[in-house]
Amino acid sequence: MTGDHLPIEASGLTKRYGDVTAVRDLTFTVRPGAVTGFLGPNGAGKTTTLRMLTGLVTPTSGTATIGGQPYGRLAQPSRTVGAVFDGNAFHPGHTARDHLGLYAAMAGCPDSRVAELLDLLGLAHAADRRTRGFSTGMRQRLSLATALLGDPRVLLLDEPSNGLDPEGMSWLRGLLRRLADEGRTVLVSSHVLHEVQQVVDDVVVIRRGELVAAGPWSRLTGPPTVLVTSPDADPLASALTAAAGSVEAAGPGRLRVRGLDAPRVADLAADHRLRIHELVTETTSLEQLFLDLTTDPAEAR
Amino acid sequence: MNLLRAELRRVLATRMWGGLLLAAVALGGGLVGLMALVGPENFDPPMPGLHTEEGLRSILGILGFTAFVPAAAGALAATSEYRHGTAAVTFMFAPRRGRVLAAKLATHAIVGLGYGIALAGSAAVALFTVAALRGVSLGMPAPTVLALLARIGVAMAVYLLVGTGVGALLRNQVAAVCVVVGYLYLAEPVLMMIPGVNALYPLLPGGATAALTDFTYVADAMSAQLGNDAVALLPPAAGALLLTGYALAAAAIAVVVPMRRDIT
Repeated sequence: MTGDHLPIEASGLTKRYGDVTAVRDLTFTVRPGAVTGFLGPNGAGKTTTLRMLTGLVTPTSGTATIGGQPYGRLAQPSRTVGAVFDGNAFHPGHTARDHLGLYAAMAGCPDSRVAELLDLLGLAHAADRRTRGFSTGMRQRLSLATALLGDPRVLLLDEPSNGLDPEGMSWLRGLLRRLADEGRTVLVSSHVLHEVQQVVDDVVVIRRGELVAAGPWSRLTGPPTVLVTSPDADPLASALTAAAGSVEAAGPGRLRVRGLDAPRVADLAADHRLRIHELVTETTSLEQLFLDLTTDPAEAR
Repeated sequence: MNLLRAELRRVLATRMWGGLLLAAVALGGGLVGLMALVGPENFDPPMPGLHTEEGLRSILGILGFTAFVPAAAGALAATSEYRHGTAAVTFMFAPRRGRVLAAKLATHAIVGLGYGIALAGSAAVALFTVAALRGVSLGMPAPTVLALLARIGVAMAVYLLVGTGVGALLRNQVAAVCVVVGYLYLAEPVLMMIPGVNALYPLLPGGATAALTDFTYVADAMSAQLGNDAVALLPPAAGALLLTGYALAAAAIAVVVPMRRDIT
């Protein structure tokens, strides 16, 4: 499968448990070669969706495919998709080597692959210890090692930062970046935006089981805006508008400008001999965007 | 084949495997050896001695009452993946679940047979050794004793599979083990005592096992004590057939029930 670029596609994905609709008519695509953040508050339906992508949960309606195939029809599932749902899924009496060895056997990987992954994830020193004595960080690493056994082209991680220290998280971001740069498809769910915002290229945001936003970060956040404070706000507004900027008032003596960057605003002001007291480039705070996208208007009141 | 290898690795890597073998030898060799050494004629109340067919059948038949051990082991093994959360990983590695479930079932059958062989084998060694030491000539020819023990051994494998089926059905480890042990240890003997209901006993797993070994001592004693009519067990062949039926039903449950169930 090496070299294959396999997108994840969800189409009209719906899951109902009795009267509760956990996921409703969810349609999105995750592209290969990028890290995609799957974002939403706790209980939004992220885990249910990921489990439907991997055939663990049967959708009430809709379809989910990996490279065009439903998970259950993949010829070599563990060599195509690796996933971490729960960073603690081991028999406590198994050693790290036992655990990886049995899943290597299941995937048809040689045992040498087990040693490789123990090295890659820094677990070689703990290979023959029973997992009951593992720290949270070691458990996360062993879960990741299990997911990577088959050298999969698609990686799904559900809240991988749970229990990882900042150093571990930074290491994980590096790994995800590398895997995506190799052309793999990487989908990472999180309810804490700042943990993934440094690494994600695209996002899929859901709230209450429904799609709220999807696409590249840059498109969602839009171009930066410039905030100008000036005692000459009115003539400045006219000058900026004349230069094809879009200007709106942002309080007394302040303007929010779109379509012109800060140096251009400063140059225009100088050309017109207008004073500027403050000039700030605002990138939309991703955190704010996330809150805007996921906050329920009814709850926010 | 990969799946079977994986499931065998899964079982052999835990300590349960060794513990189970130890239990088999302790119950088979230990219990039978001890009973033979003391002699059933010295039990309270006394039972017929080893030199009689009835006495011999009785002490071997008592082994049937240790069936809750392999049954509990089956329930433990079948629920372990749910308890430790590895079911999601396993079904991701093998999304065509039927194959991995069949591999698990085969593994459990192998473990059950291993348990049965250890139990019956150690019981045979203990019985013949003690009989020779005490200079008692056994109440049945050796081939008959061995055949009886072999049946008990196979019955143990059946019980392990029954435990597997219950585990697959319930998924909760504590609940499954409680149900299995509670049923075999408490519920079945109680059912045996209730007039009317006890007519069902020959059709229950315990009754079928007793029929397999033609072991009526406990049922008879209970009937005598309660003044009920003696419960007529099925003939051994019918008992064997019935036990096979239980094993197949448990196997079907263990493979079919988790097939499409959501793993959340």
